[in-house]
Amino acid sequence: MVPALELRAVHAPFGHGPGLRDVSLHVGGGERVAVVGPSGVGKTTLLRAVAGLAPLDDGQVLVGGHDVTTFPAERRGVVYLHQAPVLFPHLSVGGNVAFPLHVRGGRGDAVRHRVREALAAVRLDGLEGRSVHTLSGGQRHRAALARAIAARPAALLLDEPLSALDPALRADVGAAIAAAQAEYGPAMLLVSHDLDDVGALADRVAVLLDGGIAQTATPDILFARPATLGVARFLGIYQELRGEVRRDRAITCPLGTFDPGERLRDTPAGTVVTVAFRAECVRVFTSARGAGVPGNGARASVVGTRHRPRGSTLVLRLDDGAAATLTEAAIAGEGTDHVPGDEVIVTLDGCGAMVYTG
Amino acid sequence: MSARRGTIAPRSLDASRIVRGVVLVALIASSLGPLLLLGLWSLSGRWLYPAILPTEYSDESWRALGGGALWPALITSVALAVSAGVVGCAVALPIGRALARLRGWRRHAGAAAAFLPVAAPPLALGTGLQVALLSAGLGGTAAGVLLAHLVPVVGYLSLFFLGTFTLFDARVEAEARTLGATPWQTWRHVLLPMLRGAAGESMALGFLISWSQFALTLVVGGGAVRALPLEVFALVRAGQDRAAAVGALLLVVPPVLGLAALRWAARRTSMMPA
Repeated sequence: MVPALELRAVHAPFGHGPGLRDVSLHVGGGERVAVVGPSGVGKTTLLRAVAGLAPLDDGQVLVGGHDVTTFPAERRGVVYLHQAPVLFPHLSVGGNVAFPLHVRGGRGDAVRHRVREALAAVRLDGLEGRSVHTLSGGQRHRAALARAIAARPAALLLDEPLSALDPALRADVGAAIAAAQAEYGPAMLLVSHDLDDVGALADRVAVLLDGGIAQTATPDILFARPATLGVARFLGIYQELRGEVRRDRAITCPLGTFDPGERLRDTPAGTVVTVAFRAECVRVFTSARGAGVPGNGARASVVGTRHRPRGSTLVLRLDDGAAATLTEAAIAGEGTDHVPGDEVIVTLDGCGAMVYTG
Repeated sequence: MSARRGTIAPRSLDASRIVRGVVLVALIASSLGPLLLLGLWSLSGRWLYPAILPTEYSDESWRALGGGALWPALITSVALAVSAGVVGCAVALPIGRALARLRGWRRHAGAAAAFLPVAAPPLALGTGLQVALLSAGLGGTAAGVLLAHLVPVVGYLSLFFLGTFTLFDARVEAEARTLGATPWQTWRHVLLPMLRGAAGESMALGFLISWSQFALTLVVGGGAVRALPLEVFALVRAGQDRAAAVGALLLVVPPVLGLAALRWAARRTSMMPA
């Protein structure tokens, strides 16, 4: 099946660096793909280049299989939505939503019907005659989406659609985005720096690092299996320790020894690796317990507790002698009653850890 | 009564009110005073020193307005100023937009070039323009005078629109383009409506700048183009004080209306996207 939107080896300049290089991506009809990456990596530049608002040095942009690389913005069949909604102040809500239809020569009942449909899809029924200056923040976002729906583009490009919004407004706008797609099923390419938003909105995620795509995967696979150390570092949910490959192919690190499975079968013994793991992979055992404490664990002391909206973690200092390393362990079960200064044994659940060479 | 901490004492409030009142009265008096004097002169039949007020009143100078040179001169001045405002706006708007798109030293150089005719003394400017317009066969014509007025008008208005477009949200154009509007449709359906207020302000400003041009009109017009400032000056030199007072009052009315139009247009300016 021909993708609704496809980027082939796109090279785009931005800033003073090398810019975007060899970016390839496709978005199917009805699919939502998010492009994430650190600030300043070129996410918005990529989106603007697809929309025809920024130049390309090389590569192709295809919409519905047609090469639109040399087409001006108004003929590409994609609509770009800015982070903050841009409504035309001299037009009413209905006038704004009808705008893409009027510029294509639409008039009369057909336009009015489409406007009503688009406003109903985002729950702004009956607001055609309102001035845009009287709309609330959430209503402005929804009005901009309604206008994009009315235009019926093959693809919608959303630039940080949920950034700088309070939680209630995020839910409101997120629902409006889902409603917009349900209306007629356009492809959606959105950029964000917020991984929580991406996890909620996207079917697939592309990580943009150092000017290129480092990994494309579904959110669950991306978060569980970052392809490179750079991706793991960008996700911000992984901690790192140096490890070494043993003769029996086990990995030894300050948190103990674990079997990496088939991952490093061909890696020579003695190779130094980076072990990246999430807090949930760290197991904490009370030192005083006898039976059940694994022999390959590391000794550590509790420094404190860190509380976050989605759970709390223990902050630990490993007694590895060479350097003190702070490690976080998700608090669950036996870890809940530890206080600073407690001596504990920690191990790493090797199944949840990623190992990177080089 | 002593003042509490964090509040202003009532006595200080009274004093500042009095000072504000005095300043306001002085400003109004300095603006309206000369106009009142002109009004008295225009209606005076007999007013000799040391009388503080006219001893006789007459509306003869006002009744003679229709048959004299003042009325045609007023019409000429209004036509020149309105034309300068409209044409100046049309010319300066794209210049201001182009200047706003420049960055760094190019923008400063462009703004300086636009400001040059504004900074140059009108007599010097007029002398140079006279030579050029005479060569083009436009010396001593209304068209030539209009072109001369457009030099400072376009300069001022280009800087005005530079400020306007500096504040203008460029995302509006991008949004319109991706919604399917061609560059011309973006101008016609989005930018021009949003710039309506600014255009109105600029036309009123252009009117006021052209209205006040005496030296340029005199030098370039060569005395053949009889605008109102020239007529008033001629009446003053001829010692016809009452007629000159009528002419001076006529000089004031259109600018006051122009300023009112400027204020009205400024209130209706809405360039920021919602």
